[in-house]
Amino acid sequence: MADTRYLTLGDVVADELFPDVDLALRRGRHVDREDSLWYTFLVDAQALLEAFYRRFGCELIHPTDGYFYLLPTGDKLGRRHLSVPEMLVGQALTLLYLDPATLQSGGVIKRADALSHLAAVMGSDALTRAFNPKRKRVDERVAQETVRGKFAEALRRLAALGFVDLLDADALRLRPGLLRFAEPVRGRGSPAEALERLVARGELVLGEGELEVDEDGELADDSGEQAEPAAPAPEPFELPSEVLSEFDDFGDDLSPPVTPEDET
Amino acid sequence: MTEPAKDPQIMLAALARSHPVLELGTLDLCFLAALHLQAEGAALSAFSEDELSDVFEQACAIVEPRADNLKRRATHAIQRLRDQKLLARVDGAGVLRAGEFALTRLSASIVESYLADESLTRENLTQLTRSLRLSLAEILSRASQARDSDDWRNAVEAPLRVSVSDLVSGIERRQRSLDLEQQAFQATIAKLLESDWFGAVDQCLELLESTSRTLTELNEILLRDAHELSSSLQDIQEITVNAQAEGAEAAVERVMEQVDRIRAWGAARQRAWSEYYQYVHRYLCDVVRLDPSRALIQRLREQLSQHTSRPFALSVAAAASPRLLREIEPFKDDKPKVSRPRAERERPPNESDAIDQHAIVEELVQGALSRGSLGLCDVTQQVSAETPPELRFVTAGRVAQVVARLARTTLDRDRPWVSVNEDLVIEEWKLAKGGAHG
Repeated sequence: MADTRYLTLGDVVADELFPDVDLALRRGRHVDREDSLWYTFLVDAQALLEAFYRRFGCELIHPTDGYFYLLPTGDKLGRRHLSVPEMLVGQALTLLYLDPATLQSGGVIKRADALSHLAAVMGSDALTRAFNPKRKRVDERVAQETVRGKFAEALRRLAALGFVDLLDADALRLRPGLLRFAEPVRGRGSPAEALERLVARGELVLGEGELEVDEDGELADDSGEQAEPAAPAPEPFELPSEVLSEFDDFGDDLSPPVTPEDET
Repeated sequence: MTEPAKDPQIMLAALARSHPVLELGTLDLCFLAALHLQAEGAALSAFSEDELSDVFEQACAIVEPRADNLKRRATHAIQRLRDQKLLARVDGAGVLRAGEFALTRLSASIVESYLADESLTRENLTQLTRSLRLSLAEILSRASQARDSDDWRNAVEAPLRVSVSDLVSGIERRQRSLDLEQQAFQATIAKLLESDWFGAVDQCLELLESTSRTLTELNEILLRDAHELSSSLQDIQEITVNAQAEGAEAAVERVMEQVDRIRAWGAARQRAWSEYYQYVHRYLCDVVRLDPSRALIQRLREQLSQHTSRPFALSVAAAASPRLLREIEPFKDDKPKVSRPRAERERPPNESDAIDQHAIVEELVQGALSRGSLGLCDVTQQVSAETPPELRFVTAGRVAQVVARLARTTLDRDRPWVSVNEDLVIEEWKLAKGGAHG
């Protein structure tokens, strides 16, 4: 615990930044270097806070990409799993974050560019189906309107989690926390193994995430059918081999990138 | 003479009234640039028509080598440029001889902005600020010796408006060029990574470092020198205020604003660059170095395209917000309620003795007749005397009715109209003596 201004947990809690940072982390916020004061606070208090949060059944994670977040591993602290639109939009934004063309604007992109990128990678039809899962027969215009609406809502929720900054009506800034969406494909091993490892750590769950929640916190129900209650968060478990086999060919033809752990 | 304050709205309205339009193609711009370069190279102040055509042909040979009808095209191009006030005839000879033409200030500015390669450097910024400091010191000295309005105008106002202002504008112009350079530089980094990925890291870092160094140096010079310039300008301003030299004071204020602007530019660019620098640094370390084969983007693209068939979802903490119960306070309504005073809509009747106006009139008429009145006018006068003014008109009618009933009238062919009082005129009836009906 060298080079820290905090000697005890009491010093950390007494810091005026603690309440805001604590609340933000508990609400799923990813804190990176752009939150300069918060980030410095977390770096300084990391050792003490890791032990502190472990008592709440969660881990304070600090990947080498330079951001912090709180990962619940028990049931003492509430957690949720990102919805399908959030996952799709998050991955599209991560692709843009990795794209060198985005460097020119310092990580600032237009919303329309993000949506068009998502549509280009997934294909417009697949995107429309993914964003309108309960509708069997959809009017094209209505379905596209739904896609735009859910895209905007996903962006808003990703911004609340610290993955992006919404600068104005049209622009947004990409943040390092987005690299979490690329975790399954970052390791040297196969994506299936990476998924298994991430599921075991409680970083993600297989299957679709939570049901979409509207601004009032109510479960959205596009089809008029009664929405099923969200399943309780699963405990970390080992994936059955038949599930893992589905991912066997995932990214096989590509050489995997190097991770910090691999380098060390 | 003090320059009147310029109202932007008035100036814009005047500009809009003149319907200015600029339409310049590549050939026109190159033609103007060729004229500008030729004028500079050969120290020419104006071009004859033949010279203009020759320069146009030279420009055309480079821009559109296969073009024909060059003479005609030159004529059209010259006319186009003259219509847009980019080329002006300067000989004033009209039809007497072929004209001479020169570039206008507008065209010179356009060409310079394309050709000028004078971005802000440590050397030229130091040189410019040194010249500025010297000029301001000289103006300060002259200002302290100025006695009359001519002194203020020639020794202070004019140098501030022309030489000092031009020097500061020179810095601003170079700042804008540096902005453009930075934009191009950011595009260069993106292209380098796009083309060489891992191999471009060192080159990108070198570019980042050199630009950071340049910006830091420039900002330091700006901060230091702008402070000295502001100090000198404040000294001059103090003297102008004491001497009530309004024109000079306005000129000082204008230069002060320019100096503030160039200082603010330095701080803003430093801040923006710092953000960009950090972002690119992070990118190089977190993305490029950790993914030297650039496989991550492709793998992520594949993951995204297959997400609907193999979905997964990230877990995030989602503690509910603490529920803070507030103290319950009884609702206070300080506003006055909308109401009206309670009152009986129908008032109870007042008991009073009934007054029979007809009986009173009849009594008065009987009294008058018994006193021997011989005419209706006389009777009416007597009754009116006992009646309130507002009832006299009505009473006059009742009097006539009662008289007709109680007395006999003598018939006259003409019944004269006589005045009872100031407000009332009636037809006179003569009454027979002892003529009461009984």
